[in-house]
Amino acid sequence: MMNEKAKAACNIHAVLRNMENLCELDVTSKELIAASNVAIQFSVPEIDKLVLAFRQGACKAMRGDGLSYDMNLRFSSHEHLNLMIEGKKNPIPTKGLRHIPFLKKTFTALADRLSYYLQPDPERLKNDKSYRDASTKMLAYTAFYAIPEIARYDEVGIHIARQIDDGIINIVVGDEFAIQLHSKQGVLETSKGRNPNARALMLFDSMETASGILNGTLDSFGCIGTGALAFRGRITMIDNLNKLLGLVPNYLG
Amino acid sequence: MYIYEKSKALFDRAVKVIPAGIYGHMGPANGCFIPVSAYPFYVERAEGPYFWDVDGNRFIDFLSAYGPNILGYNHPEVDAAAKEQMELCNCVSLPSARMVELAELLVDTVDSADWAMFCKNGTDVTNLAMISARAATGRKKIVKFVGGYHGVMPWMLDIGYPGVLFEDVDNIITIPFNDLDTFRRVLDTYPNEIAGVISTPYDHRAIDASQLPLPDFWKTVRELCTKEGIVLICDDVRCGFRLDLRGSDYYYGFKADLICFCKSIANGYSISALCGSAALKSAVSSVFTTGSYWLSAVPMAAAIKCITLLHEIDGPAILKIKGEKFARAMQTAASDCGFKLNVSGELSMPFLTLEDDDSSFIMQELTGGMVPRGVFISSHHNLFVNCALTDEDFEETYNVARASFEDIRRNHPEMYR
Ligand SMILES: Cc1ncc(COP(=O)(O)O)c(C=O)c1O
Repeated sequence: MMNEKAKAACNIHAVLRNMENLCELDVTSKELIAASNVAIQFSVPEIDKLVLAFRQGACKAMRGDGLSYDMNLRFSSHEHLNLMIEGKKNPIPTKGLRHIPFLKKTFTALADRLSYYLQPDPERLKNDKSYRDASTKMLAYTAFYAIPEIARYDEVGIHIARQIDDGIINIVVGDEFAIQLHSKQGVLETSKGRNPNARALMLFDSMETASGILNGTLDSFGCIGTGALAFRGRITMIDNLNKLLGLVPNYLG
Repeated sequence: MYIYEKSKALFDRAVKVIPAGIYGHMGPANGCFIPVSAYPFYVERAEGPYFWDVDGNRFIDFLSAYGPNILGYNHPEVDAAAKEQMELCNCVSLPSARMVELAELLVDTVDSADWAMFCKNGTDVTNLAMISARAATGRKKIVKFVGGYHGVMPWMLDIGYPGVLFEDVDNIITIPFNDLDTFRRVLDTYPNEIAGVISTPYDHRAIDASQLPLPDFWKTVRELCTKEGIVLICDDVRCGFRLDLRGSDYYYGFKADLICFCKSIANGYSISALCGSAALKSAVSSVFTTGSYWLSAVPMAAAIKCITLLHEIDGPAILKIKGEKFARAMQTAASDCGFKLNVSGELSMPFLTLEDDDSSFIMQELTGGMVPRGVFISSHHNLFVNCALTDEDFEETYNVARASFEDIRRNHPEMYR
C-alpha cells in the first residue's frame, strides 16, 4: 500500500536528489548548468528539506534544515509535490523569484533528462552501453536512496527496518560503483561508495545484471542461482533489505 | 573440488518454468547457498548418510533433508514397509487400518499424546494446533517466540513478508524465548484473551546460534498456561524423535497440551502428526480440517516402521553419539587451524558458529570450502545428523573441514592465531 508522505519523501530524497548524479553522468545536463549558480530548496510539510545547488557545472544535493539557498519552492502538501513530479502541478516559489527562468527552462530540461534515464528505453539499453551504465547507476541510486524513506514513513517499511541489525550493508555493482546503507536502531541512511566495515554485501556481478534486475528484465532469483547476484555476511540484514526493496515499486512505479 | 555442470543446466531450465527456479528452503536463495558456486542444486540418488548429485558428486549430508532423514536415506526396512503397503493401496476413498495402528503407536510412544491425527507437512499441524487452541478456548491471541519458525501460513510469518497483512498477525504476540518476565507481562496485559502459546522445544532459529531453555523456563510456562487456561503447543516438527521418542516436551521436563511432529516421523515419507491431551480431543474434533492426501496409507506404513525401528535401536541415543562425533571432528579441525568453532543447540541438531565472526563471513567461507569437497553443510541453519553416519564419515568430515580451514587461513593471514 502506498502513502503520499512516503512517496513525497522518495520523490524528494531519491528521485530529485538524483540531479546530482545526472549532472555528473550526463554531458547534456552538465552543459545545461555550465553557467548556473543557484541553490533551490524543496520544502514539503513534515519532510526533511532538500537543497540542490547548481554551481560550477555540478549539482550538489544536501538534506536538512537551515541550509543556504537562493530559491525556495514550497509545496502545500505531499500530494502537491507528488503531482509536480508527475508534471501535473507547479511548485510555489516563495523566495528568489528572479531564478524563475532557471526553474522554467534549465530545471525543466534537467527533469526531462532525468526521466530519460530513470524511465529507460529498452532498445537503447541494449545498444548503448554508456546510456545503460548511466541509467543503471541512477536507477540504483534512486532505489537505494528511497529505502531509508520507506523505512521512515511506510508502515510496513518501519516494521522491517526495526528488524535490521545495526551496521552497514554494501551494495556493489561489479567494479563499477557501490552504495552503502547504514542501519542504526531502525533508522537507515544511504551514501555512495563501498565501506570496508560492512556486515553484509549485496553483489551484482556486472552493470548488465544490475540493469536487468532494476528494470525487471532479469529474474533476481535466477540471478542468485547463477551467482550473478550474490549475498555475503549477515543474511538477516540482506533479507530485510530485500523486503524493503520489494516495497520500492509502490513508490517509484 | 566438485563442479556442477548438470545442476546448473537444470537450474537454467528451471527458472524458465518454476518460480525462483527452486523455491523454499532447498533453493539457492532461501537456502542461503553461500557461495552459490559451492553448491549442487539437484540430486540423483541417495543412500544412508549420502546423496549423489546429478553430476555424480557424492556428499556426506549433514542437512539430512533438513530433518526427515533420521535412519539413513533409502532405508531398506522402511522402504519395504512402504512398498508392501503400496502393493495393497495408498490414496483411496477410505483410510486404511494403518491409520489406527499408527495412532496407537504414537499414543503409546509420545508421553503427552492421548490421541493422534495426521496431515502432510509441519505447517499443516502447527496451523491445526493454533486453530484448535482457539476452538478450545474461544480466545483469539497466540503467543510465539522470536526466531521460532512454525511454517508458512501468514500468521506464522511477520509483517514485511510479501503478502502478509497486519490483519494476519493482529492476534499474534511475539516475545523473546527464555524471557519469563515478558511472558508474565503479556499474560497480565491480556487476561482471558490468550488461546495458545506455541514454541519449539528450544530456540533453534536460523542464522544465529541456538539457545537451550533456561532451567525454569518450561516448568514456569507450563504452570502459567495451566493457571490461565492457555493451550501449550510444542512445535516438535524439527526436534521430534531426535531428542526423545516420548517427545521433546518430555525431554525438557514438561507436558504439552498439543504436540506437532513431522520431519523425523517416517524417514522421509510425507506425513505429519498432531498429538494431544484427552482434554483437547473434542475441540480438535470440532475443527474442520482435511486434505487430499492426509489419510494416504503408504506414509503411515513407513511411519510405523520408522518409529518402531527408532524404538528398537534407541534412535535419540545414537543421534547424540553421532552428534558428539560430528562436533568433535569439526571443532578439532577448527582448533588445529587456529579457529574456535562453537556448536550450539542439541547435539543431534548442531548449529555451527565461529568465534569473532559475528556476520558469518568466515562461516560462509567454510561452507564454500567443505561443500565442494563433499560434505554438505550450511552456514545459516542448524544441521541434522542421522543414524547412518559412520566413523569413516566423521574422519572424512574432519579432513575436509581441516583442508577448508587451511584455505581460510591462507586467504586470511590476519586471522591466524
Ligand atoms: C519447528 C518447525 N515447525 C514447522 C515447520 C514447518 O514444516 P513444513 O515445512 O513441513 O511445513 C518447520 C520446518 O522446518 C519447523 O522446523
